Amino acid sequence: MANTENQHNFDNLWSDVCHLFPILSHEKHEYLAQESPHDDLTTMQAIVSAGQEELVEQLVLTEVESQLRNNIVPVFWQRFSVLDGRTQSLDPFKDAVDCLYESLASIVPILQSLVLLRQTAQTERQVCGQSSLLETFKVMVRASLHSQLPLNYQAITEDFYRISFKVFCNSENKDAEQNESTEDIFQCAGCGQEVELCQCQSIINAFHETNGKLQELDLLERLAGDVLTTLIHRRIESHVQETCKGSFDVPHIGSLEGWLDTVVMGWLSRIYSSGSFGFRESENKSTVSSVETLSKMKQTLRYFLYETYTRTRIDQLFNIIIEYPDSEPAVEDLRICLQKIDLRQHLTQKLQRALETRLLHPGVNTPDILTAYVAAIRALRTLDPSGVLLDTVTQPVRQYLRWRDDTVRCVVTSLTEEGPSDLAEELSRGEALQLDDLTPSEEDTKNWESWNPDPVDADPSKTSQSRRTSDIISMLVNVYGSKDLFVNEYRTLLADRLLSSLNYNTEKEIRYLELLKLRFGESQLHYCEVMLKDIYDSKRINTHLHSDTNFNLDNQEFAITAMILSAQFWPQFNKETLELPEFVQEHLDTYTKAFETLKGNRTLCWKPQLGSVNLDIELKDRKVNFTVSPIHATIIWHFQTKNQWTIEELSQIMHAPATLVRRKITYWLSQGLLHEIAPDTFELVEESGPRVKGHIPADIVCDDEETESAMASAQEQREEDLQVFWNYIVGMLTNLDSMSLERILQMLKMFALQGPTTIEVSLQELRHFLDRKVAEEKLLFYGGVYRLPKS
Amino acid sequence: MAQNVNPHSASEPSSSIKCNDDRQKLSKDNHAVTKRLQRELVDLMMGAEKAVSAFPEGENFFKWIGTINGPIGTVYEGLTYKLSLEFPNSYPYSAPVVRFTTSCFHPNVDTAGNICLDILREKWSALYDVRTILLSIQSLLGEPNINSPLNPMASQMWANQVQYKKHLHETYYKENGKDK
Repeated sequence: MANTENQHNFDNLWSDVCHLFPILSHEKHEYLAQESPHDDLTTMQAIVSAGQEELVEQLVLTEVESQLRNNIVPVFWQRFSVLDGRTQSLDPFKDAVDCLYESLASIVPILQSLVLLRQTAQTERQVCGQSSLLETFKVMVRASLHSQLPLNYQAITEDFYRISFKVFCNSENKDAEQNESTEDIFQCAGCGQEVELCQCQSIINAFHETNGKLQELDLLERLAGDVLTTLIHRRIESHVQETCKGSFDVPHIGSLEGWLDTVVMGWLSRIYSSGSFGFRESENKSTVSSVETLSKMKQTLRYFLYETYTRTRIDQLFNIIIEYPDSEPAVEDLRICLQKIDLRQHLTQKLQRALETRLLHPGVNTPDILTAYVAAIRALRTLDPSGVLLDTVTQPVRQYLRWRDDTVRCVVTSLTEEGPSDLAEELSRGEALQLDDLTPSEEDTKNWESWNPDPVDADPSKTSQSRRTSDIISMLVNVYGSKDLFVNEYRTLLADRLLSSLNYNTEKEIRYLELLKLRFGESQLHYCEVMLKDIYDSKRINTHLHSDTNFNLDNQEFAITAMILSAQFWPQFNKETLELPEFVQEHLDTYTKAFETLKGNRTLCWKPQLGSVNLDIELKDRKVNFTVSPIHATIIWHFQTKNQWTIEELSQIMHAPATLVRRKITYWLSQGLLHEIAPDTFELVEESGPRVKGHIPADIVCDDEETESAMASAQEQREEDLQVFWNYIVGMLTNLDSMSLERILQMLKMFALQGPTTIEVSLQELRHFLDRKVAEEKLLFYGGVYRLPKS
Repeated sequence: MAQNVNPHSASEPSSSIKCNDDRQKLSKDNHAVTKRLQRELVDLMMGAEKAVSAFPEGENFFKWIGTINGPIGTVYEGLTYKLSLEFPNSYPYSAPVVRFTTSCFHPNVDTAGNICLDILREKWSALYDVRTILLSIQSLLGEPNINSPLNPMASQMWANQVQYKKHLHETYYKENGKDK
């Protein structure tokens, strides 16, 4: 009986509960507002007294959750999937949010009843980790939403925010440039509608409303956070790219930061601070949290901005470097950013790759590479004063330059060439050359307080001192690691220049030499000094010889002036031979005699292939004047005695190789004085017939000669280098008896290659050379080792 | 004047210097010494001198091997001698330690190869270099100082050049193998 009683009571209670929470009855009951609160209160008290408040709460919450899962959320997501065709409109998202908001609002009263129940029971519990039921509910909403997340939900969200952001940016811009005439614009830049139908304002309103609702539901972050972030990131990227496009001469970091603060953060703060409705628990707390979120976002975005900017700049770094002095602001920006963002590695790799693809291939002229290298040195010094970056990045450039034959020549040329050249300027600044010295230099102990350790990627084998030196010429010279190579090259260049100018004018050269001496030291350039003095002395000796009537030089048929060079101090000359006509040789001998008289026990050894000859050629119908090289003159001279010559004959009489004669004779062909009647047979053209085109200029200075160096060719030089090695090899084999190829190379590297002759030699080359010596029986090779034959 | 002094009784400091001593302390000087030795090597290699030669033994620049040929017109003609040269860190302000590695029968050379030569002792000057040392030793072969011998037997035998030469060649080939 008691059971039935209980049962009855229970049924009554249940119906009351169902009345209180209509959601439990699975029927579409309208919540009856007119029901008196007193009734509810009694029901609640009944529940509490039955000790069932927990059960009821659980039941209600479960029911609410299933309602969410089965009805509200699917309907919400439905709106996302239906509209696959992307409409450029706010509506889908707004509608979806509105609908969600409404249906969720309908549940709120139930929650309020539950809260009341809790208050009646005076219990506090945690459900889903939240003590407040409203929060629990929000957790449930989020969970259900996420559990049914469709794949393409972002498309609509993105549309929504993109459009609104565009509108927002547009309105910002309008604020900024109000004076711009808007009458001509028929389309609103923001909403893409015609100006009269501009929906910007309505879009903004709808936008704010929607955001407010989402914010209330605590869904803004969850639902739109991703989209917002990607959107803003993309926006930042495009903005940065637009800003950085091609202009390196203005610093951008400040304006970019400003843009981020005003435009992007302005928009975000509007999203987060949109109006609030009934879902808020406490206004203060949410404001605090949204401010916190905003400042956190600002931090993140700021770093993202730096990163994007840095990456963009790094991508452009090659161009920045090329334009360096003009692009200093960009470099400065980059320097600031690199302190905040760790992209060193990225920078090094990117720049190295850029250098390799754009600079270090055979299609680029050496001077261009050098210019780029110099610009890189300057730019990277600004970027990283410790020089580590420079050291790492330009490593391949140095390696490549070392491999190019004409590097030294180009450096030396640009050092001493006229006109505005970076290097010449650098040279005139006149600092002492600093070479990488392996001896550890004493660190500056005075400024120990400002000392900083080297960055992690620094090469520990070099002192930071040596890296910090910012001297460009030193850096260039260090490509080879030796001054001597440069000094030698300069000597060759100087010799060429002095011999090709033939005017005894050395003032300019002396100036350069003095500048170079400041850098390379007196002793290194002693030879060059002697060379210049030779030229100067030659002038004096010439004047002297000509003025002295005893020598009879003025009575000769043509005047001779000589450049008297001290053979010891000049570079090796080409070993070309040339037999001058006897008539000329006689004159030269007279000159030599005069010189011998003047200088006592010295004599002259002529280099007939050098110099220039000024000659008048009288033909039947004309008289022409030429200034040509001796070999040219000799060729045409021989046509004086005989009208027809073959290359063979000329080569024999001149003691010059046939190929050389053939090459030189083309000059006269081009001048129309000679004519090739048969292969390798030439005849003098006495009369300028119709065959000769155009008038021949009276005075032509042959200029093709200037490109040719009078100095020994690289190959001959190489032979001489190897001869040096041979001396060493003989030396080591004499004392160490027998050695393997590898050991010889090792010893050469250690002892011979450190001397004044810094020449690289490869194993193959050495093997080849030693094999030749074996063939010449100057060396024995037996059992893998070389030894000297017994004398 | 006494040209030759007994190396064992003579100024000990110079002979006790080994290249490995004081290395750390004199690292700066070391550089200068290396430079000097490098220079000497270049001069030696590029010079036309054929009768004497020297080269660093291995990785160490402070230890060289020298080779001299017996001076022509003396009993030593046709013989080749190897020497070891060890340079102190204070080189060239102190003399290198030079000794014969090939056994050498000579009035002023003891059985261990030590040489009694004044320029390697108290007459040393920084103006000497490897080449001049070797040339001095070479000339010492032909012109020994009989009065201060390290090898009394050689000293006594010197007067009889024929006997001396016979003995010299016998010992040379016996000590240094037939092939030399």
